[in-house]
Amino acid sequence: MVRWRVRIEDLPIKIMLLISASSSIIVLFLMTIFVLKEGLPAFWEVGLDELLMGTRWAPYYGRYGALPLIIGSVLIVMTTLMISVPLGISVSIYISEWAPGWLKDPLKSMIEMLAAIPSIVYGFVGLMFIAPTIAEFFGLSSGQVVLTSAIVLTMMVLPTIVDISTEVMFLVPKEWKEAAFALGAGKWQVIEDVVLPTSKSGIVAAVILAFGRAIGETIAVLLTCGCVGAMPEGNVFLQPVYAITAAIVVYMGEAEYGGTLYHVLYALAAILFMITFVMNLLADLILRKMLGGVRSEARI
Amino acid sequence: MRPEFKDKIMHVLFLVPTLIAAGMLVMMLAFMSEGIGQISWRFLSSSIFEGGIFEPIMGTFFLFLGTVLITMPIGIFAAIYLVEYAPRDSKFVRIVDQAINNLAGVPSIVIGLFGYTFFCKILGLGISLVAGWLTLTLMMLPIMIRGTEEALRMIPQSFREAAMALGATKWETVRDAVLPAAMPGILTSILLGVARVAGETAAIIFTASVLTMKGLPRTPLEPVTSLTFYLFVLLVAIPKTSYKVAFGVALVLFGIVFLFSAIATVIRMYYRRKWKW
Repeated sequence: MVRWRVRIEDLPIKIMLLISASSSIIVLFLMTIFVLKEGLPAFWEVGLDELLMGTRWAPYYGRYGALPLIIGSVLIVMTTLMISVPLGISVSIYISEWAPGWLKDPLKSMIEMLAAIPSIVYGFVGLMFIAPTIAEFFGLSSGQVVLTSAIVLTMMVLPTIVDISTEVMFLVPKEWKEAAFALGAGKWQVIEDVVLPTSKSGIVAAVILAFGRAIGETIAVLLTCGCVGAMPEGNVFLQPVYAITAAIVVYMGEAEYGGTLYHVLYALAAILFMITFVMNLLADLILRKMLGGVRSEARI
Repeated sequence: MRPEFKDKIMHVLFLVPTLIAAGMLVMMLAFMSEGIGQISWRFLSSSIFEGGIFEPIMGTFFLFLGTVLITMPIGIFAAIYLVEYAPRDSKFVRIVDQAINNLAGVPSIVIGLFGYTFFCKILGLGISLVAGWLTLTLMMLPIMIRGTEEALRMIPQSFREAAMALGATKWETVRDAVLPAAMPGILTSILLGVARVAGETAAIIFTASVLTMKGLPRTPLEPVTSLTFYLFVLLVAIPKTSYKVAFGVALVLFGIVFLFSAIATVIRMYYRRKWKW
């Protein structure tokens, strides 16, 4: 360890650096306090029962049943994962195992480019292009349904899944694969029996992070989910719904500061905050164990 | 089935999803390119009241400029502390690390709500440019810290030892030997942060922008219209507004964000190749 000359003049700088380094902890702490402080009153103003189990979301009529919103968000996220997880894992397997060396980086960069597109642009494309296509294909009067949001979100979470999955697949020791080949295994057998089991937990972490991103996504979902605050019936994939995030944007503009609606929206934000917080902790725990401190750029 | 034959089938089976994923990007680009006909000097330089997008372009520029000025020192100082000063793998570093990851994972709408309550209401800044800066700082900070951290860690130990041999103190070493060498990496993270901030909508809806616009803000305490907010307003109001303007705004926004990300990627690739220590 190198010993440095310490000068007393350096002390203020060190303190300034320390304060800057603590900034993210301070911010996160403040955010937790505020989300709880502003959200908790909703539980006695509206009641836990009505808020989480009430099926009527009609804030202008004093009804704050958030169950349709929660179901709407869950439906959209689950549909997204049903499309994006198989797609993302397949793409990752192709990039890490089959693609020739010169093609690996261009393919990865192409997928990463999807992450650079702003969410309002995704919403725009979803609203103007994907929704009409879906409406025409399924013969619906409006294309702003669960499936449309899920397709848009798939494009948004795909980079997260692919980046982390390929990274953990690259980490599978070459010797293990070679040993399997030496035993006479085919390429697919090696993938099935060596690559996938070894990188399983990393893929799980990727899916958890994708879940967190999908449930917190706001603008793209708002523009494509249809914004109907009723309980979906029938074929849920083709029903318009209201996502939690979308409701926050739409009603916050009209909510009186400190009023019941304001508290209810904060309570919903608190739920989102806690879900993403736990998801992040979980994914980090898995990735840290696997990668030992290596950090993926897709995390940020 | 023979393994070789099965491998061939599987190869094709996995090529298809990859093509679909690549096709998604192509589709996005193709759809965006429909806005090209809308782009003209007149469109870029005239006011929104005359069908142009001058104010939103300037608004986006003002927003990320202020955010970068606030985020840059905090982010760089934080990274310097984490890499150069704090003992490796100390408890403090681990907690800060986790906090950065969690902050990066907070949905932007929650950050927007927090910004509205804390900056606009409690600090009394109102819906204003400065409230937007502070809120967006919370989004850019994790990118800034992580990027700078990575850049600092790439600097070889010999740089620090050489500075020390010349009698430099810890801070002089960091300031004169480590930071200049890490500049390209820091610049990359600023550009990536700008790309993120310029494309953000949810965080500024309640904090920086209002529907009724009276031209450009004259002071930081006035609200501002960004490209993202203007596009949002146009989309919510469709079919009352013109599709054409929306296409143009979306393309300009995409172009700006894409440009910053691309420059960042190029800088990073260039210096990784050139500076092999």
